[in-house]
Amino acid sequence: MSSPAITKGELKNQPQNEEVNYLNVEHTISSWLLTGDHKRIAMLYLVSASFFFFLGSIAAGLIRFELTSPAGVVLESETYNKIFSAHGIIMIFQFLVPAIPAILGNFLLPLMIGARDLAFPRLNLASWYMFMVGGALILIGMIGGGVDTGWTFYTPYSSMYSNTQVTLVLVGIFISGFSSITTGINFVATIHKMRAPGMTWFRLPLFVWAMYSTSLLMILGTPVVAITLLLVVFERLFKLPIFSPELGGDPVLFQHLFWFYSHPAVYIMILPAFGIISELIANFSRKRIFGYHFVAFSSIAIAGLGFLVWGHHMFISSQSMYESIVFSLISFLVAVPSAIKIFNWTTTMYKGNIRLQSPMIYAIGFLGIFTVGGLTGLFLGGTGTDVHLTATYFVVAHFHYVMVGGTLLGFLGGLHYWWPKMTGRLYNDGIAKVNAVIVFIGFNLTFFPQFILGWMGMPRRYHYYYFAPEFQAYHIMSTLGSSVLGFGLILPAFYLTMSLINGKKSGPNPWGAHGLEWETASPPPTSNFLETPIVLDEVYDFDPVSEHEQDMKDLDKWESTTDHQSFPTEDHH
Amino acid sequence: MSAISNPMDHGHDHGHEPGLHHQYEDMAQQSETYIVGMWTFLVSEVMFFGALFLIYTLYRWNYQLDFYIAHEHLDVKLGAINTTVLLFSSFTMVMAVQSAQLKNRLKVMGYLAVTVLCACTFLVIKYFEYKSKFADHLYPGAGFADDAVKAFGNHALENGHVAVNMNHAQLFYGLYFGMTGLHALHIIVGIGVIISLIRLWFNRANTVIHDYVPTEMVGLYWHFVDLVWIFLFPLFYLMPLPR
Amino acid sequence: MANSAAHTHEHHIVPTFTYVKTLVALIALMILTVAVSYVQIPAIGPISGTVANQVVALAIALVKAFLVVTIFMGVKFGTKLIKLWAILGFIWVLLIFGILGDYTTRKYEMAPSWDSQSDSALPRVAPDEPKMPRTNDLNVKIRD
Repeated sequence: MSSPAITKGELKNQPQNEEVNYLNVEHTISSWLLTGDHKRIAMLYLVSASFFFFLGSIAAGLIRFELTSPAGVVLESETYNKIFSAHGIIMIFQFLVPAIPAILGNFLLPLMIGARDLAFPRLNLASWYMFMVGGALILIGMIGGGVDTGWTFYTPYSSMYSNTQVTLVLVGIFISGFSSITTGINFVATIHKMRAPGMTWFRLPLFVWAMYSTSLLMILGTPVVAITLLLVVFERLFKLPIFSPELGGDPVLFQHLFWFYSHPAVYIMILPAFGIISELIANFSRKRIFGYHFVAFSSIAIAGLGFLVWGHHMFISSQSMYESIVFSLISFLVAVPSAIKIFNWTTTMYKGNIRLQSPMIYAIGFLGIFTVGGLTGLFLGGTGTDVHLTATYFVVAHFHYVMVGGTLLGFLGGLHYWWPKMTGRLYNDGIAKVNAVIVFIGFNLTFFPQFILGWMGMPRRYHYYYFAPEFQAYHIMSTLGSSVLGFGLILPAFYLTMSLINGKKSGPNPWGAHGLEWETASPPPTSNFLETPIVLDEVYDFDPVSEHEQDMKDLDKWESTTDHQSFPTEDHH
Repeated sequence: MSAISNPMDHGHDHGHEPGLHHQYEDMAQQSETYIVGMWTFLVSEVMFFGALFLIYTLYRWNYQLDFYIAHEHLDVKLGAINTTVLLFSSFTMVMAVQSAQLKNRLKVMGYLAVTVLCACTFLVIKYFEYKSKFADHLYPGAGFADDAVKAFGNHALENGHVAVNMNHAQLFYGLYFGMTGLHALHIIVGIGVIISLIRLWFNRANTVIHDYVPTEMVGLYWHFVDLVWIFLFPLFYLMPLPR
Repeated sequence: MANSAAHTHEHHIVPTFTYVKTLVALIALMILTVAVSYVQIPAIGPISGTVANQVVALAIALVKAFLVVTIFMGVKFGTKLIKLWAILGFIWVLLIFGILGDYTTRKYEMAPSWDSQSDSALPRVAPDEPKMPRTNDLNVKIRD
């Protein structure tokens, strides 16, 4: 390891009996379902969120298949509405929002700050159950009739007209929302009060900063959407007339309240990915992150500004022109902290000792894709261009660039990076690298044509485009891309599972990475650290002198598991 | 429970303290974390009610006269009594916390019992209020307030015609039932929580007798419920005549 | 960190008298707010009497809330972090009220045709689906 203090900690935290860890300490089903261990709960989330992701992907596949012909292929209009609603609802509320915080955050947060567990383990378990109950209700609603409102549930359609299972699904989302609030509460209390001695705020890994900002958004935003959706449920059940225009209520108020949460919600999805990317870039460039304080505070700034821009979703509602202008201006301001992050990551890589292992390839892919996604957001944040582009495929492409290209790539990168820590096994990094490239290509092939489509005027949520058959080429390109992307998402399921069966043991720190989580065994023992670690050195404190030897050792470890003959070491020493 | 001692801790070994959960180093850390967690939860509760208060403000601003006439059916006397009851229950709650700090078990249980009693009184009064609204069909839906004069008194009449816009009156009662209903739900949850707290004290459970903080957390929740009512009362019951 | 926590968190026991004083103040304020609601405050300059009455009622509510938060909930005796959270809650509620900015800068319009139909049941059934053109200029066949 790079610094003497850490080396001491590492020795202390090597368990006497290598075999006892959180995975094999107990084997009964109830030991999993009633566990308070944050690592086991993270695994529960990993399995369940992957399941929901799989369902959402099937819906996405159907949508792409339907759009290969201008007249549609298999689906009725009604069914298509239900399919894209199912895709949006499952992906957003059951995958993107909980994915990184509840899986990787849950697993890593206590490890990174040197705590034995999250502050409230039972609340953590309860939050998983809420997630599952909410998910179950959503699925029952989807199977028993589906929902045709889209994931946005705009009133008065959702509250008065839709005959589908809106009530059930809304209750599901409400319960799922509480799972996200409780996760946020848990994280905030943990980060404030459970840090190991010496782990000051500015020694926290940037992933923890990102989790903190995300938690703030969850705590402050989610209750608002929860009550809003609950009011729609009440309106459907008890005719409580809050958003009914025929009784003097205002449907636009629903949009205000909905986006008051749902815009911050996109930061709930992307901020954790920012955190992961910060970890990956620093650790695979073997350098302290450039401008640590700026990156940390830009997360907080995004969280704060995120609450002031909800109106940019409503430029074409009856929202006042003056407020639109203000929202447009503040939306442009969000570009500042986002750009700070991108520039600082790029600068970190400059003259770094870059190792192109699979997580780093995801991270580099993220940089490009997120930049495109972020910049196209500016088109939509301008009040003029937005009128032309709203509700077209341009919007669809934009938020997929941010949500899929940002969050999903971040998640995959993080999963690959921490997989050895979570399971104690090394996967085949050669295949993983190829897969990262496949995902990158598939993603761009899927969503880039949609920018062009949207610019040309293809409306979103349509299941045919007989009025403009010339769109077909782009749609087919997009569908092809989605098949590639789909392949790139299925493949990790195989090689990561294979690593559990025949993967080499990883040891505590297969990447030679820096951070408390790498100082305990992989997989970690139930109490994370055998002795509470004491942090004496700065975060990402890579010592350039010992870097070279460490490099060689780490690379050997991985090389014997893969067929690749050489790693691109790019050694500057 | 592993007895992990921290060298920075000047040799104090807090590992065996009863009521200390395994993830914490010592009682102080546990207490502080509990309090931070509780406050974080309350902030999210504030946002929950905040959205409702916003909706109320918006419609009240737009339909001042209709809301005023609709509010005539509410009974200020009952509202004031309920406010007093809740304020008093907040006081008994805070006394329960103080007794917990002084480790006076019997006093804690006594004060908590009075708090539960107050909460139940609140709900009983609320029940009678709701009952009188339902008797006059003041719940949203078809047939709302079929007899406007009976429901709202002569204010509702102007030149012999019903002057109040029934749609907006419905909106008012939608908000009334929505907001006071959610508040009442919080009271019911609170009663459950306080009763289980009394049980813990009765059983001399480690969680409560060695540390007053769990009692204080319930107290914080209860004061929050009181806080919401402090705003609901003037907004719904004490509406000034638009002029 | 754990050390500093240990002594800042020694119980700060507030004397009973403080709580009794607070309770008396709260009930007095409650009576005051009810009493003021029966007084019709005259218009003060551009501010109408209604607004004045409402502002007084809300100001009293805020004072009551302040007493509950600082003394009953113990923010006055709590750590800086607790003070921060208490303030954050109020600031963020104000942010939601930013939504009102929209309504004050545009005309609030109601759907005129719907406004008068108080006695009609809500149209809970979906309206008939508009008929799609079966063919079009480009002769792309539409499935059913």
